[in-house]
Amino acid sequence: MKRVLKILSKVLLIGLGIYAALFAVFFFDLDGKALFYGVEPFLNKHYDRMERRDPLKMTYDMDKPHYDYKD
Amino acid sequence: MKKFDLKRLKNIDYKKLAKDFWYGKPHGERRLGDLYCDKTGLYKHREWRGVKDTMYYFNMIWLYNYGQMVADIMRYGGLKPFIKGTWRYRWMGQTYLPVLHWFDRGLEGLRGEALRASAWHYRAMVSLTIQQFMRMFRADANLNGGKHNDVWKHNIAHKETVWGGVFYPWAGKLQNVPMEMIPYFVTCHVNNHTVLNYIDAVQSIGLPGDPCPMCQAEAGLFVLDDMPDYAPFMVTSNEACDGSVASTILQDWLWDKPLFAMPQPMQFDDPLVQEHCANEIREMWKFIEDQTGIAPDMELLKKHLESQNELTRFEWEKWDVAANTSYYPINGVAQALYRIYQSQYGDNHMWHKTDKKVRKIMEKCVEQKINNFPLTRHRVIAWSCAPLYFSNWCTWAYNCWGLNTVINMDSLMFNMTIRTDNEEDMLMDMARYHEWAPMRRMAVGGMHHIFELWEYMEKFHCDMVMMYDQLQCKGMQGVHGLFEDEFRARNIHAIWMPHALPDKRTVSRSEIRTIINDYMTTVMHEEPIDPSLLEFDDSQSW
Repeated sequence: MKRVLKILSKVLLIGLGIYAALFAVFFFDLDGKALFYGVEPFLNKHYDRMERRDPLKMTYDMDKPHYDYKD
Repeated sequence: MKKFDLKRLKNIDYKKLAKDFWYGKPHGERRLGDLYCDKTGLYKHREWRGVKDTMYYFNMIWLYNYGQMVADIMRYGGLKPFIKGTWRYRWMGQTYLPVLHWFDRGLEGLRGEALRASAWHYRAMVSLTIQQFMRMFRADANLNGGKHNDVWKHNIAHKETVWGGVFYPWAGKLQNVPMEMIPYFVTCHVNNHTVLNYIDAVQSIGLPGDPCPMCQAEAGLFVLDDMPDYAPFMVTSNEACDGSVASTILQDWLWDKPLFAMPQPMQFDDPLVQEHCANEIREMWKFIEDQTGIAPDMELLKKHLESQNELTRFEWEKWDVAANTSYYPINGVAQALYRIYQSQYGDNHMWHKTDKKVRKIMEKCVEQKINNFPLTRHRVIAWSCAPLYFSNWCTWAYNCWGLNTVINMDSLMFNMTIRTDNEEDMLMDMARYHEWAPMRRMAVGGMHHIFELWEYMEKFHCDMVMMYDQLQCKGMQGVHGLFEDEFRARNIHAIWMPHALPDKRTVSRSEIRTIINDYMTTVMHEEPIDPSLLEFDDSQSW
């Protein structure tokens, strides 16, 4: 019983610690700061470097199937 | 080093300090502008709203929405397509990760029931956005080695200005996903940096800078090859105006898929055009049947139209409370974005779930006579098309000046239910609803509808107009002078708000605030409620 209580109190303490840490992230806008200064510039560099198909090389033609809607 | 001043400690009013800690500072003492980091719009710390509302924001908005976003991603396809999509598409990775800041900007200064009801609106929009991009990524041939999987074969791509309701006959069998709603429209509200890439891309191939920037950005997505290949064909339209036709020409070239164009009449009051418009919808149904081999199901259509009517009827109840009481618990930006999203996308279980929650809050406010915006100095109606990069201007305007945006044009557009008792009337009403698209009915849809402003102003007991001035909308630029004459003749206080829809570079948010500040001081001779919000630099902010 004592051991169970000890484990439970440990779990509770860890839970409270995580909750408090999350509150600090929330209150000091650490998520916003990490995304603004870290994630967004990193992803932008990646998107800028990404090799892409050049759709402008496709010809603009009218070879689509003919759709006739008359019954 | 500063000397520790014991006298200062003695002079602190601890009773007031404790009260502010427990209840939050009263409006007028908050100095919300002091919370911003210079230029970035990030917060030195998020607002302390008192114990109850801060903990509500932390638990039920911040934590809850982060959690629900993960749950939605798992529910609608799982981590794999999400990660692949985030890595592949700029509009996804750059825009949607900082979504909680979008909540922050829209909900600044809110307390109590207004905070709760407005946040539920945001939650619904986030869920709908996740549903759509996850559907795109699951089907996307770009992410699946060029393979067209079963999800791809069961998707319908359409322009975001095509009302989702015209696809109800396939609800549950095929899934319609607007092409630009998530890659373009919603991005501008959440992170206004992203869209600039697409505007610049389309101009780089020779398009001049002055056409509607919405159409530019929509086409730019395709120029940059940043559009998922998620459906076998597309349905397009000329909504809201002919600019849409121009962007479709580019999309048709660059996406190269079977296309059905469904033009709607600009001047839709003529009864003769209704039949034509209804036939357009019928022909589009035939096109989808030809493409997929699945016939439209009229019972499904009826069922979902009735479900959508339910949403509209609740919206009318909301308008009634907004118009005739001061107990309305939804702020200007939540009202505007939720309603335009809901009415344009069409029926979805999430809207019903949200409306149920909001109804409960609204009824509590009415029963207990809770005034959610007690420092309202002016009841404002916002008219014409809003700046997407500063849709939260109304949150700022209430906090700074007490300008309470009660209602806006976008909310009022789809002011109708659809008859479902017989097919003929149902089709006619669907045609009418579709003609009343965003930026069509009360913008380029004819003088009578543009001037419905006066009627709604009276109905909603508004004493001021925030008149949006989309500088690149040729239709609305054409009636600028007429509005000025009417404002003068009717002795109405109206503030013109110039903007370029998604493009913050033409008129910045700071310039918009300066225009409002100038009007409030020089014309209205009023003092700001929160002077810290008058001037600040948020030029780099999302």
